[in-house]
Amino acid sequence: MKVFAVARTAQAASDAARQRALDALHTALPRVGVLDRGVYACDLRGTRRLLGAPLEVARRIVELCERAGATCAIGVGPGTFVARVLADQTPLGETRELAMDARAFLAPLPVATLPLDPRIVDELALMGIRDVAGFAALDRGSVLDRLGRAAAAAHALASGMDDLPVHGVPPRRRIRAGRRFDDAIGSKEQLVFALRVLADTVADRLRADGLAALRLVLHAEREDAPALRLERVLLPPAAEPAALVRSLRWALDELPHRSFVSAGTPGDRHALGRIEAAAIEAVEVEPLRGRQLGLFAPDGAHAEEAIAVAQHLRGRLGAGAVLRARVQSPDARLPEREVEWTEVVA
Amino acid sequence: MGSVATVAALDGAIARVERRYGSRALARGASFERRSDEGVLRTGTAFDRIAGGVPTGAPCAFVGTGACGKLALALRAVAAAQRDGAHVMWVDPTASLDAVAASHAGVDLDRLLVVRTRRREDALTSAAAALRSGGFRLVALDTGPGLLASSVRADDVAPLVPLVRGSAAALVVVTDQAPRRLALLTFRFERVAWERELGRTTGWTFRVAGARGAEALFHARSYPRTLLDLGVRGELLEASA
Repeated sequence: MKVFAVARTAQAASDAARQRALDALHTALPRVGVLDRGVYACDLRGTRRLLGAPLEVARRIVELCERAGATCAIGVGPGTFVARVLADQTPLGETRELAMDARAFLAPLPVATLPLDPRIVDELALMGIRDVAGFAALDRGSVLDRLGRAAAAAHALASGMDDLPVHGVPPRRRIRAGRRFDDAIGSKEQLVFALRVLADTVADRLRADGLAALRLVLHAEREDAPALRLERVLLPPAAEPAALVRSLRWALDELPHRSFVSAGTPGDRHALGRIEAAAIEAVEVEPLRGRQLGLFAPDGAHAEEAIAVAQHLRGRLGAGAVLRARVQSPDARLPEREVEWTEVVA
Repeated sequence: MGSVATVAALDGAIARVERRYGSRALARGASFERRSDEGVLRTGTAFDRIAGGVPTGAPCAFVGTGACGKLALALRAVAAAQRDGAHVMWVDPTASLDAVAASHAGVDLDRLLVVRTRRREDALTSAAAALRSGGFRLVALDTGPGLLASSVRADDVAPLVPLVRGSAAALVVVTDQAPRRLALLTFRFERVAWERELGRTTGWTFRVAGARGAEALFHARSYPRTLLDLGVRGELLEASA
């Protein structure tokens, strides 16, 4: 028997609290999907023996979410749509299970409850159809012909045919490597060298799970200053240690420099301060894509690095700095008409 | 193999580095045989016979006054670098790169990234980023005529030297003035003669001096924009004798 629980968190809940709630759901339930921002669907099929009755599971979900800092309302029903509508009607902190037929439950509700385009809702209103029952009474074929595929899907929901599956999202992985240094590091080059080791560890974990880092964060604890946090987006996403280190080096290069006070000091003084500990974390990942091997063009395998450099330089130097030429008309009378210059990265 | 004391000192140093940065901070390099053609980019011209080609893993300078052919040969080097599908970066502070001439020289413009910067620091930063990334087979830095105090000079590329050393990339600095303080492998270009037709300049002949006095001769034509390889001077003299 199909049983779904939909958890609706409070609108005032922060993104961090919502993420914690989602992480908590992942630890407790086998399949958790995200329907919307702050709305999570849990597939409870086959869990009665292990976890108990659906309402009991729903109450525990409420407790889990509250411990994570996000109050939620739970609706339990035979389909995700019905459970979501039920959750919308339930006050925060409470749970409710559908006690009647799904079609009968939806019947008195306004037609706007269904996932319909507002123009179709207006068109139905012109036809005198204002509630779900009236919409469900229409012929399905006619709805498809006149209003389209989306309206036909909404008509199925109105008729109590809710086959929408829960697309489980993978639990958030925390891929992090850190180290505390015996002697504080005061030089950017030394820090980059130390980060190579951490990048190797993070890259190993990424590759073991078939993932590539999309966003990296560098945390650095400093002796004489507040902790440093640098965030970089890797485009394209990468799992190679060299790519991770390169991105972090660029982030460090963009920190402001301090001028020297005493002569003879090496040219590496930076706004870094003295680093006591450092950690790299891949906060956003995606599945690792294939990479051009360059069997017939051995050096062509480095195209991604070239594009990454172009993106970095464009961000640093501004628009119009990194260009590519295209010969338009080699015999043109005016030199400016011979060649067209375009940006490598728009 | 060194003495016992040397080996012990080395082990101690390795242990200190690993204690500070982690057990994976150092790795032993595997020994391998480097193929003789991996260390150079062959342009397919007489330049290869006098210099072996454009060296990779070490910076070099093409030095000469204006209109002496250094850019023409640099473009041939770019085409050579792109032969196996690689990308090339051309740092162009003076925005003077002739894309049509590059196309005639066999350069794939889709794999040529041109960076136009005004500031010396930005030009060097761009070249450094390209060399560090490992994504470019050749980085060319055209310093331009060097008329301004803020122009890039050959000596300014000193910070790039450690980035090139040991890498598979080549760094070619095209400049009017030879470096004074930096020891770069330098190839001097000198215009030998102008070619004129009907009172108009249509081309020029230039020579490139390599080690041991050998010279390669080239002829550059304005229209169509082509570069003719005239061979090595010594060979020409022998052939004409």
